[in-house]
Amino acid sequence: MIRRGLLLAWIAGWIAAAFLWAPLVPVLGETTRVLYFHIPAAWVTVLALGWSMVNSLLYLRRRDLEHDHQAAAAAEIGLLFCVVATVSGALWAKAMWGAYWNWDPRETSIFFLLLIYGAYLALRSAIDQPERRARLSAVYSAIAFVSVPFLIFVVPRIYFSLHPDPLINPRGKIDMDPRIRVVFFALLLGFTGLFFWVQSLRVRVARLERRAEERREGSG
Amino acid sequence: MPANRSSSGAVWAIVRKECRSEWRTRYGLNAALLFAVTGLASTSFAVGRLGDRPDVLAALLWIVLLFAALASLSHAFVREVEGHTMALLRLVASPTAIAIGKLLFNLLFLVVIEVVTVPLFLVLMGAAPPRWPAFLGVLALGSLALGAGATLVAAIVAQTRGRGALFAGVSFPLLLPVLAAAVSGTRAQWSGASVAAELRLLAAYAVALLAASLLLYDHLWEDG
Repeated sequence: MIRRGLLLAWIAGWIAAAFLWAPLVPVLGETTRVLYFHIPAAWVTVLALGWSMVNSLLYLRRRDLEHDHQAAAAAEIGLLFCVVATVSGALWAKAMWGAYWNWDPRETSIFFLLLIYGAYLALRSAIDQPERRARLSAVYSAIAFVSVPFLIFVVPRIYFSLHPDPLINPRGKIDMDPRIRVVFFALLLGFTGLFFWVQSLRVRVARLERRAEERREGSG
Repeated sequence: MPANRSSSGAVWAIVRKECRSEWRTRYGLNAALLFAVTGLASTSFAVGRLGDRPDVLAALLWIVLLFAALASLSHAFVREVEGHTMALLRLVASPTAIAIGKLLFNLLFLVVIEVVTVPLFLVLMGAAPPRWPAFLGVLALGSLALGAGATLVAAIVAQTRGRGALFAGVSFPLLLPVLAAAVSGTRAQWSGASVAAELRLLAAYAVALLAASLLLYDHLWEDG
């Protein structure tokens, strides 16, 4: 309860700071602030997909449905954050590049992540029996794990990207105002905390649902 | 020890069995060929002749091939599940042998589709490839990666409720790298550039998918 309150206060406080305290970058103007939401959302997307895949592989090894709950919950939350990152990125692209969508390599890779999450959840919804659902979706997740590196690392090398890389590009790092950096990393931390909080809620719900299901089968 | 027989003999037997049961009805092959030709004809009808637009040509060729593959490659596994013959098949061969056999059959199937579709495409669009080795190299490696990815997803999707309906949507994320590299390679070939990078990428992806398949097939068919 206290931790949830602290998390909410932390995120709310830093969002206020993003508007009131942090300066704007000259070229980006008012669109600077997308930085505080878009990149943390993209980071949580990747984190959630990684979490989901690791738990899928763990499920294949240990056959514990707990790992399946973790993988499914992370995929659902990851999809949500992926939509946030995609939409905020598209709005920013409209403001800066003049078009919502242009198949820039970054747009390609995030769209690809959206497809993977969507396919994973569609696959889960089509299998009734829990063990079989866990096993097959874990196998799918493991195969997707093979194709992710190709799209994230190979496609941007084939095609030219306009996407600004303030984290990877060292020159961008020097240009970053210290106040922007503080707000950015604080919100990155806040979004990560948000992910783990929602994740724990979702896993608890899945656990309760399974227990209710087992009880119903036991009595009926 | 029949369950451990993943030898080349078992694989070969699976391929022969697939070909024979396909040849008895030819329903999968007929449907796939009709679909491919229909897709091709509607594309060609909509855009006309495109001999001078290599970028559009490459994209259209691979979209036609991708859709033909997605419409037909789940067939080999779905047939076993619908005919309730999967359990029997697993008694006589290991999951890996079944998988490799089905993969070889699917690749053969793709080759048949392409033998019909690709020449027809080149004739209808009025564009001959300037360099046949590069064109066929991209086509072969692209088909290998396409077949490897689609066979693996088909094995998963055959055990779900949606089956055919799910197959295209679920396999697309895995086939997107193939589509990107194959289109880029075919386009480069038409505009006279080097295709070495795309060939390497397609080969690497096909090998990665095949390796993942071999590791994962044991997990796929556990409860029959």
